[in-house]
Amino acid sequence: MAAYRGHRTNPDKFEKSQIKIYLLILPMVLLCGLPIVFIIFHAFKPMEELFAFPPKFITTHPTLDNFRKLAKASRSAGIPISKYVFNSLFITAVVVFCSLLFSTMAAYALSKLRFKGRNVMMQINQIALMFVSVAVMIPRYLIVNKLGMIDTYLAEILPLIALPVGLFLVKQFVDQVPDSLIEAAYMDGAKEWQIYLKVIIPLIKPAIATAAILVFQQVWTNLETSNYYINDDSLKSLAFYMNTLTSTSTTNTVAGQGVAAAASLIMFLPNLILFCILQKNVMNTMAHSGIK
Amino acid sequence: MNLLAIKKKNKKPKGKLGKLERKQELAGYSFVSIWIIGMLVFTLIPMCQSFYYMWFKIKARNGLQFTYVGTSNITQIWIEDPDFIQQIASYVWQTLLQVPIIVVFALIIAIMLNGKINFRGIFRLIFFLPVIIVSGPVMNMLVSEGAASIPALNTQAVVSAFDMFLPTAIAQQLGTLFGNMIMTLWYSGVQILIFLSALQKIDPGLYEAAKMDGGSDWECFWKITLPTIKPMILINAVYTVIFLSSNEQNQLINLIKTAMFSATAERGYGYASAMAWIYSILVTIIVLIFFALLGSKKDVYDRMVKKRKRLEIKEERIARRVERRSVRNARKIERQRQKGMFRTYDGSGDY
Repeated sequence: MAAYRGHRTNPDKFEKSQIKIYLLILPMVLLCGLPIVFIIFHAFKPMEELFAFPPKFITTHPTLDNFRKLAKASRSAGIPISKYVFNSLFITAVVVFCSLLFSTMAAYALSKLRFKGRNVMMQINQIALMFVSVAVMIPRYLIVNKLGMIDTYLAEILPLIALPVGLFLVKQFVDQVPDSLIEAAYMDGAKEWQIYLKVIIPLIKPAIATAAILVFQQVWTNLETSNYYINDDSLKSLAFYMNTLTSTSTTNTVAGQGVAAAASLIMFLPNLILFCILQKNVMNTMAHSGIK
Repeated sequence: MNLLAIKKKNKKPKGKLGKLERKQELAGYSFVSIWIIGMLVFTLIPMCQSFYYMWFKIKARNGLQFTYVGTSNITQIWIEDPDFIQQIASYVWQTLLQVPIIVVFALIIAIMLNGKINFRGIFRLIFFLPVIIVSGPVMNMLVSEGAASIPALNTQAVVSAFDMFLPTAIAQQLGTLFGNMIMTLWYSGVQILIFLSALQKIDPGLYEAAKMDGGSDWECFWKITLPTIKPMILINAVYTVIFLSSNEQNQLINLIKTAMFSATAERGYGYASAMAWIYSILVTIIVLIFFALLGSKKDVYDRMVKKRKRLEIKEERIARRVERRSVRNARKIERQRQKGMFRTYDGSGDY
């Protein structure tokens, strides 16, 4: 069975027929790996290598200079960096959880339950998907202002929860869940929320993992909410803080480059860690979807 | 007539739902409601507001001051903003060329990764990895330092080669495309994943059956793989369009942003709203083009059902007409018989 084969992805022996595929794939794999190599080594480059042209990927004289500069810059600020880290972690955790919960619920309803206005809602989501998010910034600010959420965590959390991309991706996977599984659950007397929890969620785990990574990195690197809705410095996010460190506090941009490289590595690491945790789910896409 | 009676019995009463259906409807609404509220407050209402602002000049002096200007924001863009129009034109070209390339590329890689090779899991991981960085500030840094293009590849030669048999506008775009080959690779992580999930869902029995009938791999690809994953091709195309049009590398987004925060009298938020709407409408049109090219909305079974339904309606109409006519004829004959115009056969033999 196909479901069984899904667990054993690798054949036991090396076969000659694989060589041509390797020849095609290996260069592309190398290219895909480049940006990560670049980010990691960039943070450890000494000053003269940072500006080398053409840019070098691998540094010859690694130093910790950039990190030292970063630490120095953050020490001169009034608020300890741990506060920003906490803010960012808290906001990101809440947003990722809520956003996944709501988008899977909505995806299940839009894909499998029948009710009036379902297609209209899907169309609306698709239109919202295509709309430039920059353009709604000012009306969004007015609404946040009217709701009295300026300078609260809510202002950094709520606008990010309803991301149309998440729903779009998750719905494609819910569509693939066979109807007969849901019917079987119905026959056994399951309620809608039971079907959602016990049938849909386990089956679309890979989609959830993928969406989690996408949402996480969008929220984690988000500058706009802290920039526009928050005036109180102690509530701003780490991304915003890193941005100010690299752009304003260091007066000359040349020295700022090193700090920026170190900051971007620090911002990138949680992404990588989360990815490593979830990758098994992501890669295991739809290996076992029950019915064939 | 018999047919008609059955039809009438089977017909659902319109407007009223059964108990079970109503329950399902309620569940559906309750599942969707939170999402809808979020969408409404933070996306839809702002969208409508920006549509409204499009017709105004807005000044942010002690609160917002609105002056109604009609369509002048839009005409101003077309007449006085050559930068925007140029960017729009190059965006349309680039998207139309880049999307098919990214999708085909993702498909090829997905098929290769679905094959039987060693270290398949690791390869998949590496191909997906760029996804976690392409939208961050890191990407800006990489692009600005020229890490995304291949210096060794002489794009000029490629462009001049294309120039021989293609219009310059297309050749130019193709040239930049070759220059940005690495970008294409980095952008296709999610697409590869979507294709992989579709490929893994294809029943291997289909291939076995095709092989038994003497089909080659090439034929299997065209007759089995491609038709099965066709919906996913559309989804990937749409996803790619959206991704290309809303990522941070897009110059148009920056243009809109600068217009929004410029304090001059003729720019400002109303102007930026008009820009954003023009842009969004363009994106929608591009997506619609891909829908028209790739979307066969109904599958064969659906089409058969539709055809059957049409036939049934036709039959019903014919049956109704026959019924009506026969009633009318019966009445006519009855009337005429009462007048004694007909002599019916009464079995006596002299008709």
